[in-house]
Amino acid sequence: MIQNSTSSKIITLIKSAIAAAVLPVVFIYIMIAKPDYIIMNGLAHIVLPVANVVGDIITWPVRVIGDAIGNIQELSTLRSENAELRVRLDEALSYKHKCDVAISENDTLMRQIGIARQIPQRTVIADVIHENRALHHNTFMINRGLNDGVKPGMVVVSTSNQFAGTVIDAASNFARVRAVTDSDTTIAVHVAGYEVYGFLSGNASSTPTIGLFSDPQFKSAPGLTLVTSNISGVLPNGIFVGKTNKNSTVDVLQPGTLSRVIVLQFDKTSEYK
Amino acid sequence: MKRTVIKFFRNIFPFLTVIFLWRLSISFLNPGGILALIPIFYCTFIRPVPWFIPFGLLFCFLIDYNLGALCYWTSIYLLCYALNGFQSFIDFTHRDFNSIDMFMLYIGIGLVIFEFTHLNWTTFARMIWIFIWMTVLYLPITRLISGVQHDR
Repeated sequence: MIQNSTSSKIITLIKSAIAAAVLPVVFIYIMIAKPDYIIMNGLAHIVLPVANVVGDIITWPVRVIGDAIGNIQELSTLRSENAELRVRLDEALSYKHKCDVAISENDTLMRQIGIARQIPQRTVIADVIHENRALHHNTFMINRGLNDGVKPGMVVVSTSNQFAGTVIDAASNFARVRAVTDSDTTIAVHVAGYEVYGFLSGNASSTPTIGLFSDPQFKSAPGLTLVTSNISGVLPNGIFVGKTNKNSTVDVLQPGTLSRVIVLQFDKTSEYK
Repeated sequence: MKRTVIKFFRNIFPFLTVIFLWRLSISFLNPGGILALIPIFYCTFIRPVPWFIPFGLLFCFLIDYNLGALCYWTSIYLLCYALNGFQSFIDFTHRDFNSIDMFMLYIGIGLVIFEFTHLNWTTFARMIWIFIWMTVLYLPITRLISGVQHDR
């Protein structure tokens, strides 16, 4: 920036020096505040809702048009979806009795062989308010937060009980969820039907990759079912994650398709007993 | 009264543009509201607007929060501000096409460093797309801001 007068040159230099001085402070904060970043997240919890409200007011015409287009598209598919859902409901009702019997048998067997599983004590239903697929990141916001009992580390599943992600930050009335496709996601998974464990890693594409199997001889093949494993002590056991494809990629739930999710509050520390 | 209201809206237009672009974040066209960096860059370095720097910092922070980027764009913004203030070789304010070359440099370096640790074909393609898309939108958005503010 070219300044003409001496005073404006000095003011510019002072401002630049302040900006330069803030940089190391930011870097030191990032290094020492890991992994919670309490100040940064706390600031975002205050600023984000305010900016969202102001943004909603400014962008309402665009949002109304966008919502209207979305609703028209949704309406056009509603009739066929309704017919399909009726068929699925009939099928589900016919299986319900069998499931009830199986659940009761399963409970009895688990008590008999002494398996202690982490069962969700409570679930919180939440709406996805903002999907945020950006470059290598893939997170989304839900409209439930600390006030509803949602805490960082909790597991988020879809309404069809498929793993969707984990809560990484929770404010009073909203929470941020890291989707399974995020490049920072690495979760322990279990190959259903085999005593083989591995790690599923997001890579910013729609199909994360699986690798590092506990059995080096094991080769991934298309069609294998993957469920979560608590081998690393982070996730509960047995939540459906996806099915394997070719080249060690996995078909997982796409966050863009989610409108409503379930947050599972697991009893990891026996605090509910 | 009418003139006062018009002047008020003219003055706050750059601020409104930032909020507008940040809030309308869409996965493909505006991931994390990153397009808000266009008015932030323009109104800080090319056509400085009074009291814009704290506002720009705040929205860089909010873009970072959306992108899960840990103050990355905030740091880049501060760094660019400091470098620009300490140098007198390049005059950002009097270059062709609203200094689009400087913006391309700013956003290009920013994106490359941002994606460096996560580089694969998917992220590379997204990075190129975002770079081209932001470059294409730079001139219309900056001309809209200068048009509203009656620049000659």
